[in-house]
Amino acid sequence: MGEKPKIAICWLGACGGCDEAVVDLNEGLLEVAEAVSIELWPVAMDFKYDHLRNFGKNELAVGLVSGHVRNSEHEEVAHLLRERCRIIIGLGTCACFGGTPAMANLISREEILDTVYVKAPSVVNPLGKLPQPETEWEGETLVLPEFMDHVYALNQVISVDYFIPGCPPPPELIKNGIRAVLTDDLPPKGSTLAPRKALCETCARNKTKPIRLEIHGPIRRIHEVEADPEICFLAEGILCMGPATRTGCGETCIKTNIPCRGCFGPTPGITDPGSRFISSLAALLKVGTTGDPEAVMASIGDPVGYLYRFTHPVSTLGERCLRKATEETP
Amino acid sequence: MGYEPKLVCFSCKFGWGYLRDLDGPKEASVFLIPVECSGKLDAIHLLKVFKEGADGVLILACEEGHCHFQEGNFRALKMLYLLEEVLWAHGIQKERVRIAFSLDPEGRGIPDRIVQMKNSLAALGPLDRALL
Repeated sequence: MGEKPKIAICWLGACGGCDEAVVDLNEGLLEVAEAVSIELWPVAMDFKYDHLRNFGKNELAVGLVSGHVRNSEHEEVAHLLRERCRIIIGLGTCACFGGTPAMANLISREEILDTVYVKAPSVVNPLGKLPQPETEWEGETLVLPEFMDHVYALNQVISVDYFIPGCPPPPELIKNGIRAVLTDDLPPKGSTLAPRKALCETCARNKTKPIRLEIHGPIRRIHEVEADPEICFLAEGILCMGPATRTGCGETCIKTNIPCRGCFGPTPGITDPGSRFISSLAALLKVGTTGDPEAVMASIGDPVGYLYRFTHPVSTLGERCLRKATEETP
Repeated sequence: MGYEPKLVCFSCKFGWGYLRDLDGPKEASVFLIPVECSGKLDAIHLLKVFKEGADGVLILACEEGHCHFQEGNFRALKMLYLLEEVLWAHGIQKERVRIAFSLDPEGRGIPDRIVQMKNSLAALGPLDRALL
């Protein structure tokens, strides 16, 4: 019997939810451990980045990488993984689209540093010192990763072979993804290892949707109403990103009476789910020509946060080429 | 040299005629795009226009009740209300997008409207692209 294929599970700018989803494979994890040798998994096991550096080029079969890229450490580790793994799978919404942390892209780097290290009520920093990539201290140079000017999705930094979206990704998709790699039953590179349909197509509430879906009056938010657990959210006037979101999540939010927030990202062929949703919403809203569209639109609290909650770095306005904070703005 | 704002003008061909046939504006800084209906404009078109370097967008739509496709003009307006928030979050002022509802099949009023829009864009100054 040949040597077991080596895999790495690694996080960049992530909360650990994706790693937790791997743990949620439960008994399936034993099957995985039987079939492969886990060589790096900083969240679960004691591995250091030096382990990764010691591997040869393409020595690891697959790298499951979760999280976005926000600082120079993330960037360095992403490049190390790319060099040492034959296949890179972007695991989770942050790796695929930037995720919720990318809402910080709407605020400049300077403002973030200023708020966190100078102006926050619990901070005392009279000299206004900010973290520096290098600091001299008692004859030694202390090094910190450099905070970038933008949150990047993984494929904006390294080439990513496959994507498994979700916040967190369902264990079933992870298992299928690993199985597909091990049996070499893979779709073309760049594919998302999830169904191609929109969430509405698999949603159990779809059958309650009226033939002509219309939203009358102000938009309501889920915490403001007692939503019917059976009826389509949009038909009730509650925003649901289902029409612009890929399915495959198992409709866990919908089943707990929470509308879709769009963590699975856009359906194939759509680059900017937020703008697509704006267009479809404009068609759905029936305020009548005598009504006041502005008042209805104003009833949507924080539309930008709603529309681009998970996908800002890959959206039309949020997309940006990788550049260091120290480089000049073009 | 003075600042010359780049303006993209989408016009409904039913209400405003075919812009390309106009003797009107020929400046390189004005991009005229006739569309089938203002309701056919997708939010992504406006986002792309700003991403590609425009300073402002003018949408010429039909007068209320005169849309060839019933309510395309109103749909464009609704789309715009939402889009303004997205643009504003990226540092693009709401004044940079304007929609006009009128009937002008020969497009005679278009050059004037373009001049007006360009003047107000010039007053706003170049677009701050720090967040784009």
